[in-house]
Amino acid sequence: MDLVQQHTWGWFIAIYLFFGGLGGATMALGILGELRFNKGKWFGIGVTVLGMAILSFGLLFLVLDLIDPFRFLLAFWIKGIGHSWIARGMVVIMGAYIFGVLYMVAAFFESTTFKKWMGYLAMFCGFGVTTYTGLLLNANVGIPFWHTPALPVLFTVSAFSTGCAILMWVLAGKNDHESEHFFHAIESFDIFLISLELLILFAYFDFARGGNLAVVKSAHLLLGNPIFTIGFLIFGLIMPLILEAYASMKENSRGLAVFASGLVLLGGFLLRYLIVWAGVFQYPHGLAG
Amino acid sequence: MARYGMVMNVKTCLGCKACMAACSQWNQTPFWAEEGGKWRTRVTELEDGKFPEVKRKFFPTICMHCENAGCQSVCPTGATFTNKDGIVLIDYDLCLGCGYCIEACPYDARYEYEKEDLEKDEFYFGEDARHHQVHVDKCTFCVDRLEEGMEPSCAATCVGHARIFGDLDDPNSEIAKLVNSGEAKPLGEYLATKPKVYYIK
Repeated sequence: MDLVQQHTWGWFIAIYLFFGGLGGATMALGILGELRFNKGKWFGIGVTVLGMAILSFGLLFLVLDLIDPFRFLLAFWIKGIGHSWIARGMVVIMGAYIFGVLYMVAAFFESTTFKKWMGYLAMFCGFGVTTYTGLLLNANVGIPFWHTPALPVLFTVSAFSTGCAILMWVLAGKNDHESEHFFHAIESFDIFLISLELLILFAYFDFARGGNLAVVKSAHLLLGNPIFTIGFLIFGLIMPLILEAYASMKENSRGLAVFASGLVLLGGFLLRYLIVWAGVFQYPHGLAG
Repeated sequence: MARYGMVMNVKTCLGCKACMAACSQWNQTPFWAEEGGKWRTRVTELEDGKFPEVKRKFFPTICMHCENAGCQSVCPTGATFTNKDGIVLIDYDLCLGCGYCIEACPYDARYEYEKEDLEKDEFYFGEDARHHQVHVDKCTFCVDRLEEGMEPSCAATCVGHARIFGDLDDPNSEIAKLVNSGEAKPLGEYLATKPKVYYIK
């Protein structure tokens, strides 16, 4: 049995997975915030543009990762939609763009009912983008560490945590009552998400203990890598959790929460990069590349 | 309509790698690439047993042409498809080049045919160059040779009769007998990919 670390996907795919999830979550949470906290049309338009810009930036890296980036138009040929997560992802991403734009138009013209419907659809697609980034890796049967239901859940929770982080940055400079209210709601939600992420990670590695050789190898690669243990676990998860929890109990502590958000974003990226890096094939024969 | 497959007899593989040479010449695979080249078929040297009861084995591999192919399942554009004879093929015109199929294949059967490979292909084969666009590449069971009534180049050139090609649905074929008798078995049955390449070990 040969164990080989995958090398087809690297930095570019990790960057795409991070910004894809971040963009989708920013859009979904931002629109939800606008609809729930009456933040006004410009906030709704602003966060939707921000979400789409982040998603587009991520997509650029997906295109650059193709063998020939000029063939990217073929991505719209989604004949494999019945079984391929890239094809399904394309549909969800297009949905996020289309309903995002329609939501912004409705918000601009203050068409309340239409805005609500388009907002819900854009949120659904934004949510779909965050989830699909995990399902994309999950579909690889050859890499058992990715082929576990825990991965899409982990990526979705992590993406929403990074989305919260971006929204805290956006809201930090605003002093009106609604913004402050929304900021604290997002802050509390992020504390919940980081706690959940820690729990899922624990479960993920606990599953790995009982997994096959490739899963164990992937888990060992991660746990033996200080970028994972110190960079991601400590600086990207535990520290922001403590800082945000502390900030939530103090007055005038937005600066601390904003700093913690930066760490959350760093952690979100490291998680994706390291999970991609730790993908190990278990070839059922004596073959190594 | 057939259901083509191959039996690899590891016991009779000499390790001469004539199959690799024949395949790379016929299919113009990038044997020139760094780190040992890119191949549709490979023969890997293995150690079997523990000292002093140790011997060397040669292990030939190709695309397993799975009935439940992970590569086909993840392909977003439908570029990877199974033809009427059960051969898993790639439509180069539709290949996006995302590498998803390479990641999804648990048998390491696929690789990228990149721009520099196209240039070298043209350099070595001139007007006879067969690759004109970047794509993901893999074994096709030499589908073009089959159409002309010839065996795949690797099986045709095998000195030790270690590669037995044929129709799995023809009960009188040598391959069907080996598979139906249980002598030849697929690799990684737990993966549920249902490979059509079998091994006698």
